[in-house]
Amino acid sequence: MKASAHSVYVLGRDEVPQQLRLGAGEQLKMTLVVPEGVSASLQMDIELAGEGAQLDLAGVYTCLGGERLSLDVNIRHSAPRCTSRQLFKGIVGGTARAAFHGLVYVAPGAAQTEARQESHALLLTPEAFVEAQPQLEIYADDVVCTHGATTGFLDPEAVFYLRSRGIGETQARMMLTEAFLAPVYARLHED
Amino acid sequence: MSDILLQIEDLHAGIGEKEILKGVNLTIRRGEVHAIMGPNGAGKSTLSAVLAGRPDYTVTAGSVRYAGRDLLAMTPEERSWAGLFLSFQYPTEIPGVSITNFMKAALNARRKAAGAPELGAGEFLQRLREKMAFVQMKSEFAKRDVNVGFSGGEKKRNEVFQMAMLEPVLSILDETDSGLDVDALRTVADGVNRLRTPETATIVITHYQRLLDHIVPDVVHVLKEGRIIKTAGRELVAQIEEAGYESIGA
Repeated sequence: MKASAHSVYVLGRDEVPQQLRLGAGEQLKMTLVVPEGVSASLQMDIELAGEGAQLDLAGVYTCLGGERLSLDVNIRHSAPRCTSRQLFKGIVGGTARAAFHGLVYVAPGAAQTEARQESHALLLTPEAFVEAQPQLEIYADDVVCTHGATTGFLDPEAVFYLRSRGIGETQARMMLTEAFLAPVYARLHED
Repeated sequence: MSDILLQIEDLHAGIGEKEILKGVNLTIRRGEVHAIMGPNGAGKSTLSAVLAGRPDYTVTAGSVRYAGRDLLAMTPEERSWAGLFLSFQYPTEIPGVSITNFMKAALNARRKAAGAPELGAGEFLQRLREKMAFVQMKSEFAKRDVNVGFSGGEKKRNEVFQMAMLEPVLSILDETDSGLDVDALRTVADGVNRLRTPETATIVITHYQRLLDHIVPDVVHVLKEGRIIKTAGRELVAQIEEAGYESIGA
């Protein structure tokens, strides 16, 4: 698999690969979708084992009731000049609880690694709970590693701005929630 | 029908326990432009926030009648449907929502509220293009996320664009001049002027004279410490510019 086909997995419908290994020059583009109503605990281990491998991973989760979701994503950079990009977005409402643990491990010798990880969660109710835990372990020099994690409610200023133009509160919240998830959903229509 | 569009009586309001407006009285008739001037902290932005229905402000006393209705009992969206428009001092950035989708949702929400069918796609796009040209906004902005990465001037232009799209009856311009260079100020003021009709009214909230050189008010009020302490004609603007707010006694 040299070319980067886009694999989309829906948790609860598809068997999601839990261990992947990318050889030299291999590219993988993958999107994980966790639909509403799915409680699960998933661990994925992806190793960039050959020089110049590229991983483009995204995930979106929607937990609006009482779901319990746990995602553990471990990315291991073992070879030089590999890149990994991760973008996870989730909305959590009702009394749902979601946890995202993302580990990026850069092994000794994996020089010129570029690893980026972003994880953002939107809370829709005060009873919902999200734990977002990014982790970086770097044992090589000359690498670029970034991570960002945010958890929060819809921006009340944004809700008011839309309402002040005549968009009802429910629709305003829906528009902003969709906009939040859009970067991941847009991938599903790309190819 | 009375030509009084907005009547504020003894309005007291604030945030939390802090009272900011301490008894504002104001009457605005259709066709008029009112300027509300005042030093920082006088309550100018609180007044615009309360009129637009910003949720974090509390009205503790007084009343506001708008076009014969109890404005304070209306939600922000109902106020918009009834023709009230606030041009924000600090327009909010909405990542992921394009100007096109934003305006489509806004126009259709108000049509739905009025029991009218949705606007056709062609009709909508034509209006969008026409109004963008009206405020000299480049057409590529239609696809951009609302206010994201816009300069100060582009944000204010976008406010006046939305105003043109929504064709309000009462427009409140909250510090629309802040952050504008001279050219942008002229475009924005020109847009506001061309939207004026005998049926509509405008409130221009500003600290400085310069916007009022372009949007000429019929009535000028000075708001200080939560009260309107003076009301006069446009000559008051020059007096303030010359002698400052200190010169205006209660």
